[in-house]
Amino acid sequence: MGKLTERLSQLLEGRRKGDKRPFTDLFSRFRRILELNNSILSAIASMSGKLGGDYIFDRQYIRSASAEIMDLVGKLIFNLQALAPGKYAELNDVYRSICSDIEAEASGKLVIHEDRLVLPYADAGPGDQEAIGAKSARLAEIGNTLGLATPPGFAATTRAYRLFMERNRLDGFIAELERRWLAGELPVESASEEIQALILESEVPARLRKALAKAVGDLFTGQEESSRRLAVRSSALGEDGRRSFAGQYVTLLNQTPENAAKAYVQVLAGTYSARAMEYRRSMGFAGREIAMAVAFQAMIPARASGVAYSLSPQSPESGEIIISSIWGLGGPLVSGEVEADRFTVSRQPPYNQTSVNIVRKTRRWAPLEPGSVGPEPVQEELQTLASLSADEVRLMAETAMRLERYFKRPQDIEYAFDREGRLYILQARPLQVDPAAADQAEGLCESLQHYPVIMSGVGEAAQKGIATGPVFIIRDKSELPTVPKGAVLVARRSSPSFGAVIHRIAGVVTDVGSTTGHMATLAREFRVPALVNTGEATWKLRNGQMVTLDAEQKTVYLGQAKELCLHELVVDPIEESYEYRMLRRVLNRIEPLTLINPSERNFTPAGCKTLHDITRFIHEKAVEQLINANHANTREQAVASGRLNISPPLDIVVIDIGGGLSEQAAWRMSLSPRRRMDIEPEQVVSRPMRAFIEGVRLPGVWSNTPVDVDFSSFMSSLTRTFAAHGPGSEELGKNLAVISECYAHINLHLGYHFSIINCYISENKADNYAYFRFAGGVTGAARRSRRAQFLVEVLKQHDFFCTSQGDLVVGRIKKFNAELILDRVRVLGMLVGYTRQLDVSMVSDAQIKEHVDEFGRIAQAASSPKNGRPTP
Amino acid sequence: MNEQHKTTILLLDDEPIVSKRLQPALEKKGYAVESFYQSSAALERIREKDFDIVITDLKMEGVDGMQFLTEVKERSPRTEVIVITGFATMETAKESLRKGVFDFLAKPFKLGEIQEIIRRAEASVRQSDGLGEN
Repeated sequence: MGKLTERLSQLLEGRRKGDKRPFTDLFSRFRRILELNNSILSAIASMSGKLGGDYIFDRQYIRSASAEIMDLVGKLIFNLQALAPGKYAELNDVYRSICSDIEAEASGKLVIHEDRLVLPYADAGPGDQEAIGAKSARLAEIGNTLGLATPPGFAATTRAYRLFMERNRLDGFIAELERRWLAGELPVESASEEIQALILESEVPARLRKALAKAVGDLFTGQEESSRRLAVRSSALGEDGRRSFAGQYVTLLNQTPENAAKAYVQVLAGTYSARAMEYRRSMGFAGREIAMAVAFQAMIPARASGVAYSLSPQSPESGEIIISSIWGLGGPLVSGEVEADRFTVSRQPPYNQTSVNIVRKTRRWAPLEPGSVGPEPVQEELQTLASLSADEVRLMAETAMRLERYFKRPQDIEYAFDREGRLYILQARPLQVDPAAADQAEGLCESLQHYPVIMSGVGEAAQKGIATGPVFIIRDKSELPTVPKGAVLVARRSSPSFGAVIHRIAGVVTDVGSTTGHMATLAREFRVPALVNTGEATWKLRNGQMVTLDAEQKTVYLGQAKELCLHELVVDPIEESYEYRMLRRVLNRIEPLTLINPSERNFTPAGCKTLHDITRFIHEKAVEQLINANHANTREQAVASGRLNISPPLDIVVIDIGGGLSEQAAWRMSLSPRRRMDIEPEQVVSRPMRAFIEGVRLPGVWSNTPVDVDFSSFMSSLTRTFAAHGPGSEELGKNLAVISECYAHINLHLGYHFSIINCYISENKADNYAYFRFAGGVTGAARRSRRAQFLVEVLKQHDFFCTSQGDLVVGRIKKFNAELILDRVRVLGMLVGYTRQLDVSMVSDAQIKEHVDEFGRIAQAASSPKNGRPTP
Repeated sequence: MNEQHKTTILLLDDEPIVSKRLQPALEKKGYAVESFYQSSAALERIREKDFDIVITDLKMEGVDGMQFLTEVKERSPRTEVIVITGFATMETAKESLRKGVFDFLAKPFKLGEIQEIIRRAEASVRQSDGLGEN
């Protein structure tokens, strides 16, 4: 019992301590957090902007820019912890761990955390490229994200490679041989020979051997012995999914499961073939950057195979897809040993063939005895037959375009059709398009004049690039799953929730949004062209309209501007340098936003994977902290306070924490701090508070009551809870408003409803928000639920994002300009009045709509046109 | 334009990315560009040949950029030197102006920015050449 009392008193002590922290301090912390949040987002955007290709940067820049961001995030954490002591201690560990990765990457070390030696494709995510190499990562992405058929497989990770090198102590020897070669002391052939011999003599560590055996077993579960055959190939990290490395490394076909470990070593040795070493040198890949992952894929029993180019590399301006194919396995086609059927196909649906060339195919490659593949004769009647049907050609063309759209570059695709006619993508990599041909895209300016301009010169480019597709206007988050592939997403405002569809849309245009916001980051991450803050997209663009977006030129054309798309595809990206890849790796730990939805379970310190995640988490929690702040002592630290003298008599005590009241009023009140004073509405200069008062005082709100009672008696009953007490300190926390010039926290307990309005505005749109919370009521659940539905409906119409549970409704709106946010706070003021006894009258569902309409009429009449939604 | 009349540029930066990006872009604009990663090699070259414009980093591993540009100006006063350097060494860069450096630019920079400075440096070289002939 004694212990319990002690515990209770500790709790009370703690609570009292908590209560005593001055709100003015919290508020200044909060503002500091907003400042830091903005600095961090712009610093991230600036760093990420260097990936755009406009800038020349070096490693020193990567180090100093990442150090600056780490420093800012450190300060942000410090301020949140000051705002909410003891609450988010875990953030420190998460922060330290991310920073140590960033520092390692920025100093040129590869960081591969996963203690996974093998990783099945089905489990691989977009962040796994470092672990499984570019080739495997792209194939896994094609299978997992685009849902195309790919050979089932797994990768021995770069971690496995490190284990292999360390256990066999190969690093030092190889580095020395490479150094001598690069210094000209050793011919490449000798260096290559010696390195390969070292590797081939090495043992596969037992752990890795076991992991390989298990992965192969899992891969072939339930399959016949004879069909268990593997293709084993390199998947180098340095490729970064962009440089082709075509034909530089070893591929072993038709390997038995038992041979997996041996094949692994052979593929590793192949990394150091003379030509691969020379290729890497010519590409400027530093030796220390090599970390070889190896792909293990089930062999596809190919009826026909080949290569598809999504854009003819010789004549990109022709707008054609080139597909070649042969019977059987594709190896001899890729190596150029045999002639192939060739189909030229239009890049536009329905993908008509523009020319066909069928050659005589006397031999086809097929699996022979285990470990080898080789030629076998083709039956006479098949020799001159096209190896792909018209439907297969069309399917391949469509798929090639899908891959190009997704990877934002023309694609060089290896594919196979199995005996059932199923299309498998075996590999997809960026296609190098002839730069000379690109220069021919000169008349671009003139040809663009043929396309009508729908919008131009408005908004800001969050991600440069060209996107073409049908417009899809989204009004509510719930419509996201219906956004079609390849659409140009148009929305009232940017939202991080677009993350769910960003990989399958062609572009984004919004009325409201910022280039440093979360959505902008997503767009950059996925390289989806995005134009934000246009102010007019949702009413200038129409659903289903085919458009071309040029984000850089801030222009939307009607129709598909083919010339523009083509020009974009043949402009060579300058992204093939060591520094570029290093910047990308460093940014991987900084920029991606994985904490998208605050209501998801991973929205915790431990769920933060990047510095951006931490920043978003803190921003959300800081706002939460402010909304839920305890104001019991705020009055003591206030500049001035008093009862707001307005009609209708809301009985609100106003507490000014700085700049919320006119200077004159604040000065007069400070002269006699002990006297209880009334505050006239005109003395309130807090912009959010003024907006609220305006809304509350609108006569329409109060007189259009469905409850027919005498106004003054109604109002007195409404505030009767407090009438007897006068504005003493005990009702603080019930009807009070904590205000500053740019902030208002309004806590109301009217009749049986509890509501909170919390709003902050500044010059910076990213800071601005309004929060509304409404609960309570006297009537049965059905009526209260109707009122909740009414609220949600009205809030949505005014751009709020809403959640409701029972009779609790929460609405949030953020990142609009201050004028618009204030207009919505005015609406909240109206709602507070309008809903005061609404549940009493909500006798049927039909009334939800009636009230929504009625409220709409009042709001329409009251809102000034410049703040309202533009109408077409 | 024939080869002799091309404006010559020597580029020295120990981070290869800089010349890898700059050289092709400048060549496209009609300049004759030679790139160096090591100051010793660059020094050797300027002893053989006077360049119109020298672009150099100040802070390089094991290299004193200041010393390099001093020698450039001593050997060939007409050569305009442009300093490109990290933000952290901007104070030193400003100091270099006293050594007769034409202009400096903080890394990272946009291609357009350095091209503009080069264009001005080129005009300055041409002007002083013209005066010399009179």
